[in-house]
Amino acid sequence: MNFDWTPEELKVKNSVKGLFDDVSLAELLALGESDAQELKRVTGNWLKRLAETGYLDLRIGPSNRSDMPRLIAGQEELAIASGSLFLSVEATARLFGGVIAAFGDDAHVGDVLGLLQKGEIIGAVAVSEPEELNAAHGFLTVGRSDGTGYLVNGRKSFVTNGPIADYIAVFGSVDGQTAIFLVEPDFPGVVIGPRIRTLGFDGLAVASMELNDVRIPQNRVLGPFDDNAPLELLRTMEDMVLAIGSVGLMETTVRAALAYARSHQRGGKAIFGHQEIRFKLAEMLTMSQSSRLLAHRAGWLLSVSDPDALAVVRCAKVFAAESSEKVASMAMQIMAGQGYCRGNVIERGYREAKYAAIAGTTSEVARMAIADDLLEWYKV
Amino acid sequence: MDFSFTAEQLMFREQVLKFARREIVPRVQEHDLRGEFDWESWRKLGEFGILGLHFPEELGGAGADVVTSVLAAEALGEAGVDGGLTLSYGAHTYLCADTIFCHGTDAHRKKYIPKLATGEWVGCMGLTEPGAGSDVASLRTRAEKEGDSWVLNGSKMFITNGAIADVAVIYAKTDPAAGHAGISAFIVEKGTPGFSVSRSLKKMGVRTSPTSELVFEDCAIPMENLLGQKGNGFLMAMQTVEWDRSALMAPFVGAISFLIQRCCRYAQEREQFGRPIAYFQGIKHKIANMKIFLEAARSLVYRIAWCKDQGRPLNHLEAAVAKLFVGDWSLGPTNDAMVLFGGYGYCHEYDVERVFRDGRLAPIGGGTSDVQKVIISRLM
Repeated sequence: MNFDWTPEELKVKNSVKGLFDDVSLAELLALGESDAQELKRVTGNWLKRLAETGYLDLRIGPSNRSDMPRLIAGQEELAIASGSLFLSVEATARLFGGVIAAFGDDAHVGDVLGLLQKGEIIGAVAVSEPEELNAAHGFLTVGRSDGTGYLVNGRKSFVTNGPIADYIAVFGSVDGQTAIFLVEPDFPGVVIGPRIRTLGFDGLAVASMELNDVRIPQNRVLGPFDDNAPLELLRTMEDMVLAIGSVGLMETTVRAALAYARSHQRGGKAIFGHQEIRFKLAEMLTMSQSSRLLAHRAGWLLSVSDPDALAVVRCAKVFAAESSEKVASMAMQIMAGQGYCRGNVIERGYREAKYAAIAGTTSEVARMAIADDLLEWYKV
Repeated sequence: MDFSFTAEQLMFREQVLKFARREIVPRVQEHDLRGEFDWESWRKLGEFGILGLHFPEELGGAGADVVTSVLAAEALGEAGVDGGLTLSYGAHTYLCADTIFCHGTDAHRKKYIPKLATGEWVGCMGLTEPGAGSDVASLRTRAEKEGDSWVLNGSKMFITNGAIADVAVIYAKTDPAAGHAGISAFIVEKGTPGFSVSRSLKKMGVRTSPTSELVFEDCAIPMENLLGQKGNGFLMAMQTVEWDRSALMAPFVGAISFLIQRCCRYAQEREQFGRPIAYFQGIKHKIANMKIFLEAARSLVYRIAWCKDQGRPLNHLEAAVAKLFVGDWSLGPTNDAMVLFGGYGYCHEYDVERVFRDGRLAPIGGGTSDVQKVIISRLM
């Protein structure tokens, strides 16, 4: 047992933290005003800087799960610096890269992985569809073999990094089984929709996409798979990213609310001197610390392939996501009118906090899965 | 980070679970309803070694680390042992015996620890008074030197094990003008003239644990019964509350595992609207919330235990966060379990009702949730 960071974990943590200074943080804040082209340039630059620290190499495929604790150490710092950049980088490295590393081999995707590790490409994963996605019935995005490759047709919604990606791993069905098509945006028949305006994460590019008779060569297709492993792995990685993202967001909002409470005067003293304010901060810190420890333990359980890992990852994701919403709301209450104005950390955090409970495995689906596991375990 | 337990720790946990289910749990309901201390279970806890786990073997203990002790305490709750017995165990082993072990002389240790470790003697601790709780500096119990004795006058309130204790650690003012620095601790044995139990209190929960008011009227004790240095009582009490907020919280955390088992089984057996209620999402939602709380609370409690094992002297922030979380966030799960059992859950006959009542102590004992918020906000 060890609740401290190890030297190896600290090394990643500090090297990621060391990338950010006031100038770079200001640049990241301005991302909200950028068009897709500018976003692609800035995100690409950050990927190269992160690559130099080794951060992009830390992926969880089945083969390198033991990296999880080091990964989390770095992820927290990136999430604290910028939620938008964090989600964009993680979509490239952990979701796109994670799926490719886990299910592709060198003959198929060795070149793509190499570029990704150097931070030279941006990746995306396209899973959700406008119609009901049900793993039992397969995706409505379908690939038909033409002997040397596949012709793919379908529609995907909410593709994170969609407008700036060099490669998109599109989940679809081949004869009722899941397959992953490695699509490049300039392939004929690929239509990336306009950037979707979202409540939060102003610096994150999200779009829907259409595939109309897109031809994918055989060496750019992973699968088909006779089980649901790719989607399960993706969801687990995504849920961990969202849990750690929520932890980072809580850290940011608690810090900002505390700083404000110490400096803002009312009733002849700093508002931190009033229990109505300081008790909120105590609860916020409690939610933040308990979410953080739970997310750490979930990641650690994954790293040692513990049989309870998936259940704890779901718990961590639901708890961290919902706690971050509460923490953001309390932070806004503390900062009051100042917080309600556009353009401050807490206002941004308040808008961003809703995302994690919706994205990945929703809180509703996660809770049902957590309960179903327990009911099975204690079957009468 | 490393959240692993050793093989020995896990094996011992299993042994405690089995022992408690077989030897103690069958008598729990009956004693709870009568509000009686269960001497037979106490003797068995002593024989099994639970009461002296972390003391050295030469003093009758098992030489276990704090993490093992907390695992054992959690296992008692998970087995279904009532909060009254685990509270008596906590007050005896940690608040009384451990204080003597940490601050007593060799003579104190040799005289008291072997008897306390086996449960032959019962211990209690007296800090709270009718007019002084969390505000320790406002204690009114006095200890004055008279000849070769310390003479105690005052009363102590809400003293767990007070009515059955053979030995008590009592905090009293030796220098009333010195505030916190004027408090000292004393060892008082049962039968000392001037030491009496004025009344026993009837409580909502933890009913098998006797709670009493103690009275000291010109109670003369030998000079050598001063525990530790004169004036160090406040610091000793602060070390003790760390136990209050880790080992004493562990059974409440374990009790949630117990509720999960009970609820999962009941939900599959109980049929309404033509199907087991486990089918309904409202029921699953409650079960999932119990699991989410359980996983979050575990890490917090083990963090303090681990800090203590590392020899880190005071971990007030971590302890207060754990105490606040377990106290306030456990109210939902224990309430949900009772509601899941419907009318049966409201009846004494079902143990979920007892767990609900026992759990109400968690946000009150050892410093209320409000006091934890004061501590957290002071340290953040």
